Amino acid sequence: MSDNNEKKVHGIVAEYESVDSLLNACRRVRDAGYKKTDAYTPFPVHGIDKALGIKPTVLPWIVLGCGLTGTVTALVMQIWMNSIDYPYIISGKPYISLPAFIPVAFELTVLFSSFGAFFGMWALNGLPRFSNPLFTDPRFDRVTDDRFFLYVDASDESYDEKAVREIYEQTGGEHINSVLDDDSSDKIPKPIFMAWGLVIAASVIPLLIVLKMRVTNSDQPRFHIFYDMDFSPAKDAQQGSTLFADGRAMRPDVPGTVARGDSNYDMNFMTGVDMDKLSAIDAPRAERLVRLSNGPIGPQDQDSTPAAEEGEQAANDSDSASGEAAKDTTPWLTSNPLGNSKEVLLQGEKYFGIYCSVCHGMNGGGNGLVNRRAQKILSPTWIPPSSLHQESLYSDQYPDGKLFSTISNGIRKMPGYAAQIKAEDRWAIVAYVRALQLSRNASIDLIPQSQRAEILEMQEAVQQKLLEEAEAEQQTQEAAAQE
Amino acid sequence: MSEHATPNVKPADDPAFQLPASLGSLSIPLIIGGLVLLGAGWGIANNIHARFGMSVYLTAFIYCISIAVGCLFFVMLQHLCRAGWSVVVRRIAENIMLMVIPMGILFLPIIGSLLFGEGVLYRWDDPNHAVENHLPISIWAEKTRWLNSSWFTVRAVLYFGIWSALALFYYRGSIQQDATGDKAITDKLQYWSGPAIMMFCGATAFAAFDWVMSLAPMWFSTMFGVYVFAGSVLSAHCIISVSVYLLQKRGAIQDEVTVEHYHDLGKYMFGFVFFWTYIAFSQFLLIWYGNIPEETHWFYERQEGTWGKIALILIFFHWMLPFAGLMSRHIRRNPKLVFAWAIYLLILHFVDIYWMIMPESAAAGGHASTGGGLGIASSLLCVLGMFLFMIGMVLKIAKQKAVIAVHDPRLQESIAFENM
Repeated sequence: MSDNNEKKVHGIVAEYESVDSLLNACRRVRDAGYKKTDAYTPFPVHGIDKALGIKPTVLPWIVLGCGLTGTVTALVMQIWMNSIDYPYIISGKPYISLPAFIPVAFELTVLFSSFGAFFGMWALNGLPRFSNPLFTDPRFDRVTDDRFFLYVDASDESYDEKAVREIYEQTGGEHINSVLDDDSSDKIPKPIFMAWGLVIAASVIPLLIVLKMRVTNSDQPRFHIFYDMDFSPAKDAQQGSTLFADGRAMRPDVPGTVARGDSNYDMNFMTGVDMDKLSAIDAPRAERLVRLSNGPIGPQDQDSTPAAEEGEQAANDSDSASGEAAKDTTPWLTSNPLGNSKEVLLQGEKYFGIYCSVCHGMNGGGNGLVNRRAQKILSPTWIPPSSLHQESLYSDQYPDGKLFSTISNGIRKMPGYAAQIKAEDRWAIVAYVRALQLSRNASIDLIPQSQRAEILEMQEAVQQKLLEEAEAEQQTQEAAAQE
Repeated sequence: MSEHATPNVKPADDPAFQLPASLGSLSIPLIIGGLVLLGAGWGIANNIHARFGMSVYLTAFIYCISIAVGCLFFVMLQHLCRAGWSVVVRRIAENIMLMVIPMGILFLPIIGSLLFGEGVLYRWDDPNHAVENHLPISIWAEKTRWLNSSWFTVRAVLYFGIWSALALFYYRGSIQQDATGDKAITDKLQYWSGPAIMMFCGATAFAAFDWVMSLAPMWFSTMFGVYVFAGSVLSAHCIISVSVYLLQKRGAIQDEVTVEHYHDLGKYMFGFVFFWTYIAFSQFLLIWYGNIPEETHWFYERQEGTWGKIALILIFFHWMLPFAGLMSRHIRRNPKLVFAWAIYLLILHFVDIYWMIMPESAAAGGHASTGGGLGIASSLLCVLGMFLFMIGMVLKIAKQKAVIAVHDPRLQESIAFENM
């Protein structure tokens, strides 16, 4: 007891035998004006906060704030992920479809609220705290069993040890003790460090195994943790299936139905021909064209598909067009129904790059990768693709509608692309081809005033570069000649 | 476990335990006035057309029975949980739950519309319905095995039988205890509360399927029973709060029911506001996601025109507003505000029932409408009349006995009850 005087006194604690005496003492302490107090009981006691004069907690506001944060986080996250960053249609719903977002918003509200309540409680209580001076009191263990404790902190403004002791004694407090500083070492014991070290070391092992596997070879087959995720049972395009009688995994459209987005009944748009005029001069052909684009073709019709006929027809037309242009009497559309806005041209550029450039080349000159390869191996059956820059393909001789029809139905060796490319995108390609053709013949007057300087500058830079290259080549040649 | 000294329970014949005379004397005028209003409202509605009239009547009926049935659930739940806090308000619920018996008589017109008419209210009762609406005959044959007037009537008798038996069992037990103070009665009531609640749930869910969901005979939602139940239990807590407040205003049970009980009733109201929303949305979400025409049409019709506006009213005023308004403990600990919110939610409960039933009130070949100002007035008259009739009956029963379970073994605990 002698060294008690040297230790810091944190406060004073008393032990009570019953809830009622504790509550009574709480009220006395509260009325005496003490604020930094606390009561300890083995179970929750109704009304103890009132008896001690504890102010209502701000925790509900923290929980409300966290809950609202959760709601907003969930909604913003889903809108961003599903509608902006990676627009993805699920179950045919709009990108931003609130009902689908609500379950996640609900869950995150609950999750954030619970976190707010749990960690907010920690923060407000000053947790985690590894030790409390009260634990030095030899009798305090019984707070988890059958005793009730009341504590007044020495740092309270109106703290007076004698007065507090008096209240304790009057209210039946027993074992009234000063709470002294815990003089046990505040260093973390070494075994704990060792345990931590072991846990951390062990946690690195899986990572090391993964790293080792990534840099070494193995003759074992790869281990698939989630087999279905590595090899999805869903069928890819063109795969077979034993499920259907025809052996195809992809299902053809049901006869008499129209797929979403395919219900374009504008015949001019679908064929590139002015149908009103055509039916006036060649009714059977108009009828055939309507039949061709009217709904999908059932499997039984495939032998005599009108698409093939129409393709031949188009091929004949264009053959004859190359000879005598006057013979093509088809009333082709002469303007692009999509117009040629920037969006349309960009769309056309994209689809031209995907489907056309492999043969026609990125610049439309007819020297795509496939052509170069065919020339290299001297393929005997190869018919070189047309350059799109020949004058016979300009819009005055080869109307937009006819170009559209050629893309759709094919010509000579070129197959029709109607099945791969949507009509709208085929029209965009037409617009882009026109832009390509124009790019070789455009005059500076067509460029908006504001952009001319930039174009001229670019032109000059290119000419300068060509000049420099020519000079450099000349010099190397001269140098070679001198040697 | 309380800072209060053990409270003194007043003697069983204390005037504070009797229904105030000013309320008791209202019972006969309310019963007669209610019936007159009901008749007037129903008459006006019938003039619009027959199905409209029956739909208006059904709306009023479902509104009132859902409150009575909710109170029955409340009483059984308190026994199931051996709840202490609720003893001081339980007798109020016990009085209201007895209303399942008079409501059984008020169900007769609906049975009558089946037996003496063809599809006046329920389309499935019309033998030509399937043919006229080109419904698949095989499916219709299966539907009518369940939905036919005789089997429907048998089931209705069964539901009312279960509810009445349970209500009488729990009411009589509680009244007996008033006289004898026998603790064994509480044990008996608790012992049977589990099976009782299971029977109750079956009856209530199937009553909701039969009486409300079958208005659209080709539509089905297994969640529908829970949806009606959620509104029903919510309204039960509301009407208990309203009753307690009015009783205390008139001088009864002023020392027994404290702000702590309002706090708990408020918590339940808050909880069931969200439970109702949760169930209503879950039902909607599955159907919306599945997007199958035979399921979506029920919601589709309720998103068009006036019904769409009412649907928005339900979202904003049956969920958002009371959810935000009842969230704070300070509001729930203010009896006046709890009373106000309870009245508010009772009104919104009617809007909910109206939105379930009235979109099916179309005459043959027509579109359902609110019937204009006259139609809405007739609906309100009808529900007000039936509600007042029910309250009159409650008062008539309440004035015969104490308004609190005077010898419940947990009465003292309940009076001393305190929230954390």
